[in-house]
Parts: sequence; C-alpha cells; structure tokens
Amino acid sequence: MKVTFPQMGNIYLAAKVLCEGLGIEYVIPPQNSRNALNIGSLHSPEEMCLPFKIMIGNYIQAIKQGADTVILTGSCGPCRFGEYCELQMNLLKKLGYNLEFIVIDMPKDIGIKELYKRITRFSLNSKKSKYKKTKALLDAIKVMNLMDDIEASAHNLAGYEKIKGNCKSLLNNCKTDALKCKSPLEMINLLIDYKHKINHISIDINKNPLKVAIIGEIYTVIEPFSNLCIEDKLMDYGVSTKRKLTPSWWIKNTALSPTKLNSIDIKKGSKEYLPLYIGGHARECIGEAVLAYEDNFDGAIQIFPMGCMPEIVSKSILPTISKDKDFPIMSLVVDEMTGEAGYITRIEAFIDLLERRQKDVLLRC
Amino acid sequence: MKVGIPQGLLYYKYHPFLITFFSELGAEIITSVNTNKEVLDAGVKYCVDEACLPIKIFHGHISFLKDKCDIIVIPRLMQLHKNEYICPKFCGLPEMVLNSIPNMPKTITAPIYASSKRKLYYWAKSSGKLFTKNNLKIKGAFMKALDKQEKHKTGINDKKYELKVALSGHPYNIYDNYVNMNVIKKLNNLGVGVITEEYMDTNLINTEAKNLYKKPFWTFARNNYGFTVNASKNKEVGGIVYISSFNCGIDSVIVELIKDRICDFPFLILKIDEQTGEAGINTRLEAFVDMLERRYEIESNISTNG
Repeated sequence: MKVTFPQMGNIYLAAKVLCEGLGIEYVIPPQNSRNALNIGSLHSPEEMCLPFKIMIGNYIQAIKQGADTVILTGSCGPCRFGEYCELQMNLLKKLGYNLEFIVIDMPKDIGIKELYKRITRFSLNSKKSKYKKTKALLDAIKVMNLMDDIEASAHNLAGYEKIKGNCKSLLNNCKTDALKCKSPLEMINLLIDYKHKINHISIDINKNPLKVAIIGEIYTVIEPFSNLCIEDKLMDYGVSTKRKLTPSWWIKNTALSPTKLNSIDIKKGSKEYLPLYIGGHARECIGEAVLAYEDNFDGAIQIFPMGCMPEIVSKSILPTISKDKDFPIMSLVVDEMTGEAGYITRIEAFIDLLERRQKDVLLRC
Repeated sequence: MKVGIPQGLLYYKYHPFLITFFSELGAEIITSVNTNKEVLDAGVKYCVDEACLPIKIFHGHISFLKDKCDIIVIPRLMQLHKNEYICPKFCGLPEMVLNSIPNMPKTITAPIYASSKRKLYYWAKSSGKLFTKNNLKIKGAFMKALDKQEKHKTGINDKKYELKVALSGHPYNIYDNYVNMNVIKKLNNLGVGVITEEYMDTNLINTEAKNLYKKPFWTFARNNYGFTVNASKNKEVGGIVYISSFNCGIDSVIVELIKDRICDFPFLILKIDEQTGEAGINTRLEAFVDMLERRYEIESNISTNG
C-alpha cells in the first residue's frame, strides 16, 4: 500500500510525519500548479467546485508516482465536499485507475465502528506498536501546530519587518527545509528552530501597517495556489494578514464539536448575522468578519470557489456587516478561469482604499 | 394580520400546510403571483450574482410581497428527513433575503425540521405565538394543516401517450412553468407524456440510493437519483429529461452520479437560468423527442423471431 492525499496548504508536512512514524509508504503529490489544475479540469465535471478539480489533478499526478490508496477527510454536512469521495472514486475508476479510497468521516455520521474499521484499514499496514502509532499521530499534530504558528507569525510580522522580504524568505526556507527532513523528530526540531527565528526577526514596532483578515472557504483560503498566493502578495505589499482557518484549527474544531465548545468566539461574533450552522464554513466566515472588525483590522478579504453554496450565503450577508460597522470587505471568487492580472488589480485597489482610509484622506473631508 | 407567502422554492409542494396553518390562526393570506418577468427581474436585481435561479426568483417573490403584507413567511427548511438536508442556501435563506432586500417587514424565519411531527410542531408553536397565545388553537391549526398537506398530491403521470419520459429535477424547477418555459406542455405537444417521481414507489427509490457508497445527505439527491435510475430500468419510460438550474451545487453531483449509472439510456439535461432562450430549449426538446421516436420505432420493428 502506497498512500497519497490531496495537497492542501501545509497538510503534506503533517502527513509526511504521520506516514513516516507509522512506517507506511507514501507519495506526496507535486505542489499544486497549473499542471495539476489542467489535468483536474480536463477530467472533472464542469460545474464542480475548484478544490475538486485540483484534487483530481493531485491524485493523477500521485498515481504516476505509484500511489494506490487515497486518504481523504469527509463530512456529511450539506456542502458538496461530503460527496467528493463518491464522485472521485467513480471518476478515477472510469479513467482506468485502480485506487482505494479511505474516507475519514465524522463518527456521528458513519458510526464509531465504521470509523474504526476505516482507520484500521489504514494503520494495519504499519508494523509499529500501539504506542509508536499514537506517538506518530501526536507528532503529526505537533508539526501541524508548529507550522501553522510559523506561518501566522510570518504573515503578521510581514508588516513590521525592517528588511523587506525577510519574513517571506524565512517562511519559504522553512517549508523547503522541512520537506527535506528524514525523521519526525528532525522536523519537529527544525520547526521549533524556525519558530524561534521568525519570532526574533528584526521589526520596527513603530510601524503601523495595514491589517487585513483573510476569510472564506477553507480550502481556497489555506491552499496558496488556489487563491493565486494572495498572502504572499500581501506580504510583498507590507500588509499584515491574519487568518483563523488553518489545518490545526480544523482538527481542534472537529475534535471539540461534539462538546459544542468549539470556536466560541466565532459563534458569538456571528450570532447577530447568521445564528445557525448552514454547512461549510459560512458561519466561521461571518464570525471572523465581525471579529476582525472588533480586533481593529482595516479590512477583510473573502475568498471562495465559484458556486460554493455556503459562501454564497455569507457573501450576501457581508455587505450588511460592512455597512453596519463601516468596515471594508471584498469578495474574491476563484475558479480555473481566474486571470491573475484582474485579480491583482482588485487586491491593489482594495489595499489603496484601505490606505486612504487609514490616512483619513477622504473620510472626513 | 396579513401574512405573505412567497410562491417560490418549495411552495409547490408545501403550500397547503402553510396556507391552512396561518388561515386557521385567523390571518389573512396573501400569496405572491405566479412567477413572471417582473418577479424574475426583481429577483435578479436584489440577489447576489452567484446564487442559482430558484433562489433569485424567491427573492423576486419576496420583493413582490414586501409592501403588501404585515409579515412574510420565509421557510427556513433545514430537514425533511433525519440526517438529510436540502441545500446550504435553504438553511441560510432568511439571512440572504433580509440582507439583500431593503425595507423588509417583519418575517417568520424559525428553522423547520420536518423529520418528525414533534419537531415540526416546534416551528408551529414559535410561529403561531405571533398570532395567538392560545396553545390549543395553535395545535388545532397545526393538525388541520398537516391533514390538508397529507391530502395534497403533486406529481404528473400522463396516461394517454405512447411514448413517455421521466421528468426529473427539483420540484421548484419542474412545477414553475415560467422558469422551465412550460416544458411539460411542450413535451405533450410533441406527443410525449411525462411521469414524475411522486408516482414511483418510495421503497424503490430508497433501495436504489442505498447502492451508493456514501449515504446521500441531500433529500433531493436521494429522490432524483433513485427515481431517475429506476426509471431507466423501467420499460415504461423511453428517456429522461432532467431540469437543472445553472450552477446548482447539488445537481452538479447528482447528474454525474446518474450519468455514471444509466450508461447509454437517453438522458437530456436542460440547464436553465435567467438568460435561457426559449428557442434553444425548443430545439433541444424536439431533437431529443425525435431521437426517442426513432429508437422506439426501431425497437418495435424488431422481428419477434429473433
């Protein structure tokens, strides 16, 4: 068994640690690129959302490197993501690939027994002891947390750095170095090292950079290729960004959701505008927009793939928040046809707007 | 009090319930007009661009009603069956409407869980409180409304045609004749009868849906998939016509699942949105019916001697 998984932000690092810890063979699909998307959109149904298409590209690229099993998280909520596995299985079968899917669904939807069965299907191939298996899982979670921390610091400090581009290069180096690590322990040490480095970058505390919150659909927000590297672009402009949705947030949120203790701040923030969970991350999107305003951010950018059902609901609510609180919010819709030039123009125009508001040029004249 | 009930989305299926319930409570009912150009235009004007056609039309109906009544019912239909949903947009419907249309009157937006009588009664209780404090009266109105709903039958099963097609899709696309440009009448004029999912045994539909790897969590996905796949096995029906609105997230999944299953059975997908032209729909229907007729003739010409 040679497992693979879709590329999604920094999850590949955690997956690498997990597979290495368990002693399972794995293939990391090549970083998302135009190539993956082209393969994906060639074979996918036309009206499916962007993440689906990129994932198909990932699988096919991974199969060429020998992968035969796919691990995918699932959901049974009203959003289309829950149906991905079924369609992807059919699609790949039709293309003539023999691939096994292991779908990790929430226990409340498939039952704890079925979940256990699926997890053992995956971990049976590991000859490690139970202790080592648990250790591998904990290491993976640790790596994910560390990586998300480093990324968040880099995005935040980019506005304050003394030497321009410092944060960005450090972050990029960190990712490339991490991929080269041979063992879980080595990677954890490396990440701790980098965390220290990034938190001690020389900064100018008197700077007052623009602060922008990135909100929206989780895949397009955490996968840089799908949002045309918006965070890197904002780092280049010297804008501090923050996003709440990360893989580690997702794990924590999912684990805590049966107890209803998950993301209390988001729930509180969204209460006035969207009091119910409607699937996907629409409620999170609304809550984060409100929280960003309360944390004195200058603006927020919502990103979602074309046709994303929950985000369409939040897109219709965001203008009201923007009006109520005098808080600029821009929505960006991405799909395989998004052109980079138009996209950059809109981001630059939005940043210009925020800059002028900050300097009070037009506001009170 | 004047209660406005918009004729959009699932109105075609559940209007007896809503109308009976509120009129039993002593309200005056005002329903919006059948969908027409003004309704559609108002919907397109107010709704976000990315939404699908039925949602836009629903916005149009609300904007038609908003100055004509004191309170508007926006049915936030969460569940019809246990562990099943309709679509995220249905769950967030009141938020979409209230944040898109200015100067709205009061609204009833309590979530509707229709998976059991008891859960549905929660909705009735909270909505009925706006009209009367008498719990008995609410209960009476609720029982009467349920009764009316049970007696109400939708669905089409044309008998007198030799050639028949299964008409599949979401109810609000099938029964709204403005949106689908009278597709049923058009088919009938071409000499083709229509059968809809209400005339198929629910057990058959459910067993078919059980063959899927993942239990469908959308009610319409289960219904449409089960119905269409069963119809394709059925000798009674010559082909399938599926009415789908452009950019419908659920249809993008169901259509693929169906295609995967029925192989080369005749299957026509009519995509509709606010810019669909009638001529294009006519051409496609005629071509499809021509093809079905030819298939039918060839099949009946086969010699019985083998």
